[in-house]
Amino acid sequence: MVAKFDVTSDTATQPTEQMFDVMKSASRGDDVFSTDESVHELEKFMADLMGHEAALFGASGTMTNQLGLRCWLLHPPHSVLCDHRAHVHLHECGGIAYHSQAAVTPVIPTNGAYLTEEDVRANISTDVLVGAPTKVISLENTLNGTIFPIEEIRRISDLARARGVKMHLDGARLFEASQATGVNMAEYGKCFDSISICLSKGVGAPIGSVLVSDRKTIAHARHLRKLMGGGWRQAGMLAKAALHCLHTIVPTMPATHKLAKRLADGLVGIGFKLLLPCQTNMIFVDFSPALVSDLATPLLKDYDIKISNNPGSSVCRIVLHYQIPSSVVDQILEVAAKTAKDKQITRQIDSAICSTASSASSSVIDLSGAYPSL
Amino acid sequence: MFSSLLKCRRVFLPKHSQLCSYSVVSKEIYDISSDTATKPTDAMFDVMKQASKEDDVFGMDSTTNSLESHVAKMLGHESALFCASGSMTNQLGLRVSLKQPPHSVLADARSHINLYECGGLAYHSQAPLTAVMPRGAHLTVHDIERHVIKDDLCGAMTKVIAVENTLNGTIMDVNELQSISKYAKEHGYLLHMDGARLWEASAAKNIPLSAYGSLCDTVSVCVSKGVGAPIGSLLVSDNETIRKARHLRKLMGGGWRQSGGLAAVADYCLENVLPTMKDTQKRTQRLWEGLEELGMKALLPVETNMIFIDTRGIIPMKLWANHLLEYGNIKIDASDDRASRIVLHYQITDNVVDLMLDITRKLIHDAGTKPDDGPTPVDASHIYPSASPII
Repeated sequence: MVAKFDVTSDTATQPTEQMFDVMKSASRGDDVFSTDESVHELEKFMADLMGHEAALFGASGTMTNQLGLRCWLLHPPHSVLCDHRAHVHLHECGGIAYHSQAAVTPVIPTNGAYLTEEDVRANISTDVLVGAPTKVISLENTLNGTIFPIEEIRRISDLARARGVKMHLDGARLFEASQATGVNMAEYGKCFDSISICLSKGVGAPIGSVLVSDRKTIAHARHLRKLMGGGWRQAGMLAKAALHCLHTIVPTMPATHKLAKRLADGLVGIGFKLLLPCQTNMIFVDFSPALVSDLATPLLKDYDIKISNNPGSSVCRIVLHYQIPSSVVDQILEVAAKTAKDKQITRQIDSAICSTASSASSSVIDLSGAYPSL
Repeated sequence: MFSSLLKCRRVFLPKHSQLCSYSVVSKEIYDISSDTATKPTDAMFDVMKQASKEDDVFGMDSTTNSLESHVAKMLGHESALFCASGSMTNQLGLRVSLKQPPHSVLADARSHINLYECGGLAYHSQAPLTAVMPRGAHLTVHDIERHVIKDDLCGAMTKVIAVENTLNGTIMDVNELQSISKYAKEHGYLLHMDGARLWEASAAKNIPLSAYGSLCDTVSVCVSKGVGAPIGSLLVSDNETIRKARHLRKLMGGGWRQSGGLAAVADYCLENVLPTMKDTQKRTQRLWEGLEELGMKALLPVETNMIFIDTRGIIPMKLWANHLLEYGNIKIDASDDRASRIVLHYQITDNVVDLMLDITRKLIHDAGTKPDDGPTPVDASHIYPSASPII
């Protein structure tokens, strides 16, 4: 059943009628031969935005991430170092092993929020006897909706460059970070050798993601894209729609963040806990002792709002985007308040957010129940 | 030799001839180097507006699901998976059948899977390809029998037989396919069909798609070529196989989100463009007959929408290509100076064919025929539009 308001993910952003009209003005060349002007326009726009030479338009973030990593993983044995929660490690079907025959070093950030230079330094592998030396450090920003501070990214980037290790960014939601902090996309871009940026999430386009890097690498990635089956034909229309979204929807992100903060603060006020700070468009909330289904059922029935509901789970990830009006937030808070009342949940005096500034063992918060499942 | 022609004779078309009026009126280029050139029309974008807008990663988009179910049925199968390209659906189709190395695929040496998918078979399935040059026009049981690998000591045993229909525009006979299918079943091989242009075979022979499709375990069919959609291809098989393929599709980076618009267009094309295939094939015959009258030869029989035209002894390829482009806005691939692959599709109208024949006729008349270039054999596999490196 399709709900009117889907807050399980920002991939739910739907194309508008206007976008299909915009598509009519797109060029209709063949992107396998890279002869489509609209695609070039998008690729140039993204490359310039990130302060890099070139870009490649792909069907998905998984594709552009795996392509980006593959470009640096030339000769096994080799490995990728990343956050243990990273999308490239957990949600890309084991792609790093498959596409690059590389091992992964998943690191638990000491501060529970983001990897630090010290975390990376402690986990880089240089073992050329029995190990798989680190060839790429892959960071993710935002990760679970939280922002990776630019200062720390710079420190890690300096370390990587000193060690001859490449830097890849899974910037699927990089726009969210940039819009929230005011840090220019190009400032992030400087720190990385390759960046993957999604257009189909908060940016609002129906399909697509872009890999950004230097000219030579992108040329190689284009060939690899065909190998991966990503050589699509008249993709100009998708590129044109994406450009339209970049210009019109990205600027609405701060408003979405405000709405998310209102929802987060509201839930905390009612007495529920947040599992992570709400810094952009995502809220990870713990409804215990209630179950998510206590809210999910009435939300769907009464308000046509769909939230991530894993059976038996108390934790939920709520993701807002520009197509979610503020009334949805009001309605979620209304149902949350009712649930709290029914379960006699009240706001506790101590911190409503699980502490993130604690030891490594408690910094591993199990969020697996919060994601939308099949 | 040809360059001297260019130096001493300049071919003029009278400014006020009817030929000029065609090229002056429209800036549109008629690309007949491939049927992948089919462009989306404005009407298609309006069709997209009606599509559902759910997430295909979760298999939740009803327009996409509807296309998949429709195409599966057409091919005589249970399920289908809509993907970004034919390379993806071919590689998926093979991958689902290749469980664990050592294993290999046997295919026609001229096949797309062998030559034009970036070595995908080795990459995606860790399998070598046994490339067989058929004795006749297409692979037969006899060809296959002689080349299957059964060596389980040092060899990579054949697990899948892959056929392509149409291949270079020529049709694999359904009876032969039946024999291959029977042989495969008897010997425990799986059968994959690269049916990127299966629609052409079906239209030409008046044989339903399912008659071909049901003989194979997995079938890949393109909607972005003669069928006319801007993007896409479908893998067709049974429910279990397609479920597995969906997971592998994500691994390959093919998990796209709101694909409903693209699926709606594909459906629209199946309904509106596919029925015009026979006309396009008739038009291709007419073009071929016209060129044949002028003394040109075809490297392969013209059975559907493709002509592998050999211009040796008649006109230099580059001269012909330049003229076609300049006076008719018609683009052919002139990277080989002996032969070219011409591919027609529904957006190449009778007018374009008339124009092409007019220009060619005039050019040959004015330029005169040339002595043959020499007895160098031309392999149709080398006549393929290749991408120049884009840096």
